Amino acid sequence: MTDKAIYQKWTGKINEVTLGRGPRLIKIGAQTGMPFLFKEADFPNPPRIAFEVWDIAPADWPQELAQHYAGVFKNPLDWAKKCAEEFGAEIICLRLLGAHPDNQNKAAREEAKLIEQLLNEIPLPLIIIGCGDAACDNELMPLCSQAAHGAQCLLGEATQDNYRTLSVAALADNHSVIAMSPIDINIAKQLNILISDMGLPPERIVINPTIGALGYGLEYAYSIMERARLAALAGDRMLAMPFICFIGQEAWRAKEAKAEGEDFKQWGDLSSRGIIWEATTAAALLQAGADILVMRHPKSADFIRAQIKECFAGKP
Amino acid sequence: MGKFRVSFYPDNKSVEIEKGKTILAAALTANLRINSSCGGEGVCGRCKVIVRKGEVLTQPSGRLSPEQRRQGYQLACQALVQSDLEVFIPPESRLEFDKLTPEEIELRLKGLYSESEEIETPRAILKEGVFFHSPLATKLYLELPEPTLNDRLSDLERLYRAIQQVADVRIMQTGLMNIRRLGQLLRSSDWKVTVTLGKRNGTTEIVLVEPGNTAENNYGFCFDIGTTTISGQLVDLNAKRVLGTKASYNKQASYGSDIISRIIFARELNGLEKLHHTVIDTMNEMIKELANENNISLNDANCVLCAGNTTMIHLLLSVDPTNIRKEPYVPTANFVPTIRAVEAGIKINPRGLLSCVPGVSSYLGGDASAGVLACGMYKAKELSLLIDIGTNGEIVLGNREFLIGCAASAGPAFEGSGMSCGMRAARGAIQNVKILSAAAGDYEVDFDVIASTKARGICGSGYIDIVAEMLKHGIINKDGRFSGIKCPRRRSAAGGEEFVLVFKEDADSGSDIVITEDDIENIKRAKAAIFAASSVLVKQTGFNFSEVKKIFIAGGFGTFVNVDNAISVGLFANVKRSRFVFVGNSSLAGACQALLSHQALKKLNEIAKKITYFELSAEAVYMDEYMAAMFFPHTDSLKFNQVKA
Repeated sequence: MTDKAIYQKWTGKINEVTLGRGPRLIKIGAQTGMPFLFKEADFPNPPRIAFEVWDIAPADWPQELAQHYAGVFKNPLDWAKKCAEEFGAEIICLRLLGAHPDNQNKAAREEAKLIEQLLNEIPLPLIIIGCGDAACDNELMPLCSQAAHGAQCLLGEATQDNYRTLSVAALADNHSVIAMSPIDINIAKQLNILISDMGLPPERIVINPTIGALGYGLEYAYSIMERARLAALAGDRMLAMPFICFIGQEAWRAKEAKAEGEDFKQWGDLSSRGIIWEATTAAALLQAGADILVMRHPKSADFIRAQIKECFAGKP
Repeated sequence: MGKFRVSFYPDNKSVEIEKGKTILAAALTANLRINSSCGGEGVCGRCKVIVRKGEVLTQPSGRLSPEQRRQGYQLACQALVQSDLEVFIPPESRLEFDKLTPEEIELRLKGLYSESEEIETPRAILKEGVFFHSPLATKLYLELPEPTLNDRLSDLERLYRAIQQVADVRIMQTGLMNIRRLGQLLRSSDWKVTVTLGKRNGTTEIVLVEPGNTAENNYGFCFDIGTTTISGQLVDLNAKRVLGTKASYNKQASYGSDIISRIIFARELNGLEKLHHTVIDTMNEMIKELANENNISLNDANCVLCAGNTTMIHLLLSVDPTNIRKEPYVPTANFVPTIRAVEAGIKINPRGLLSCVPGVSSYLGGDASAGVLACGMYKAKELSLLIDIGTNGEIVLGNREFLIGCAASAGPAFEGSGMSCGMRAARGAIQNVKILSAAAGDYEVDFDVIASTKARGICGSGYIDIVAEMLKHGIINKDGRFSGIKCPRRRSAAGGEEFVLVFKEDADSGSDIVITEDDIENIKRAKAAIFAASSVLVKQTGFNFSEVKKIFIAGGFGTFVNVDNAISVGLFANVKRSRFVFVGNSSLAGACQALLSHQALKKLNEIAKKITYFELSAEAVYMDEYMAAMFFPHTDSLKFNQVKA
């Protein structure tokens, strides 16, 4: 007696979001099933790895991570180039933290100029994320959006409390937006509805479901992503957006990734702990359906790139 | 054991207290009120005080930062007095309304201090002949044969015999007070007396014997004691007729707007008594007004029947409600025996009776049982749902086979309380609101006013209409916040964004009647709580809304709600309109039936025993449903977008 494999066919499909321009234009999403189940669904676009670039030098990146960026922290252009040329970044994720009033309070015009330069010198698709202060971002992002007109960027982050300005800017300059919700499937969907109601097509929204790193709520994030994806595949158009996951940011915050000194020796070699933490978190969320993984350490990115390749080797 | 003096500043009050008592206890003794949301369990950290001098014994608490500890901060409920103390109470630790001036309190609890007022008689489903007429108190006029040498039956037995000749009463009891007076009374009244019989826990009691014939004057009161609103009716027990209906906000609200904060307040010094007196005072006032307006003597009022949630009944009877809030959430009593009304402080005939509709559990009270009785779902073959919309919303699903119910804390928004321009569905309340597009990007607001006077405020159903209309015109987004639409009626005020419905010139309130973003948020939370609870109850019992053949909508505002609007804001499920039945204040209607028929009261006992209580807080799915419902009409809008007539 032979067992017959049962395949699940879904009626829904994840939206395809296009980012970038020219030869480096990429598409994400468009899958018709749960991750890597090639026998029952189509996966035209593999998950992509993005690297973070900041407009100011990060103060709290641990040495093990920071050493790979020696000399480039001061210059975002060099930093981005390094990610593109040496680390194999497929997308650059620019964070404009310098514009925050508590940081350097950089002028919006200055940031817009940085974006123009980046787009001139780096051919990769660009994610532009504001400083996190709502009032400040509402001034900053429209200018940045204009500066990047035609480059099909991904702008972030729209939240329940502040989504209008960003949505309007993205609509005007042909970008997409990141809709961030606090690990809550209902709020994720509500925000997508609100943004769509502003006139931005659902095909130009990417969900940031908010994640937790290994040991810090990873399972919860996983289950929320899985639930949203299952609902989308069952036909819920307001959840049929690709996911972006900020892996590096969460993994390198974990105590296990950076605690040093005699007390933590039994946790293993510090030089590999953080890498393992970031890679494990990413590997798990890849299985939950992450479409863009924003990472920090080149070695954990190498690991994940290899894993995506290996998984896609099974694609017919 | 030694006593120590604890002095409080800046009040400059001091008290003597035993060693080892808490600072919180000392403060209460000094009649100072300190915040204590957790009821003195050291959990909430709201009772911080600064110990300036003296020694206390305390446990470490995560509620105090190292900086605060250095400054001498202590949790008043955890710090045990070990010596004379000087204690400073910081303003943030004082119980809130102590800080407010009376004007501020009035502003914050707008409407709460209003007088009781005549409201439209609820559309009670009082069908004649449902239960036989046997009121809680019956009056019989009797002409007794005078005793002779051949008929030497004692006075009391003579009275019993006369009663049994006209009424089917087997077991009787009589209080000593009546017996003592009996011999003289019968003879001085020429053996012509009126006897008031009361149904008391399975027996019949001679409540009162009066000279002459007063049998025509037999009145009773029924009440629905809600967390936010108290409604009462005067009923002619002979004619089976409601003579008047009044409603008043429950003034207990100044001690906390929901059940939980009242239970916490009850634990404070004299807290229970204050809550008890507040509700009794309101009831007595309503009783007096109803009696005066209908020209009846309170001596002829012989019984009161109350329905209310379990906490309200505890407070009515001055029974400590503490355990309602504590796991495993057991009340002192769900079934309260019939007592003398005067024992609870209710001022009717001093020998009159008080009966309470039995409740199901700590959070599903007699108001739910009364509602089930009033709408008749307990005897229907088809599946029906009763939604009683109140601050403590109650939902019961079932038919003649089974009944299951749950409670949802919705807040007082639909009762018009806690809203910037809210009021009850009474004279001057705006309802049936329509918003129309006008020239130059402005809007016109069309509405009715109850009793066709100038508008005073907005009632619950008015709010539902307004939110539905604002959604329709895109004035607010689906999350309830104002959209980008600009118009003269929309403006920014100190309290945030608002939309003007009636300008000052046309209003009776002396100021513009507006709806604010906070009001809309309150409506959203309230409707989400009600919808999520209904939805969980239906789903968890394995049904879906399409199988529910009747949806009974109860609540003070129930009579006036526009179903289409209620569905488009997501308060009710999107099912055929013909399935909705509005029953008004079903709790009051049920109480009224029980007042008029002992059989109905017996049925209420059966219903209360039959309802299975479903604990929503034990279901993770409730929170999920609630979050999904925190959107207009719902996150899963597919459920609502084929709104059909």
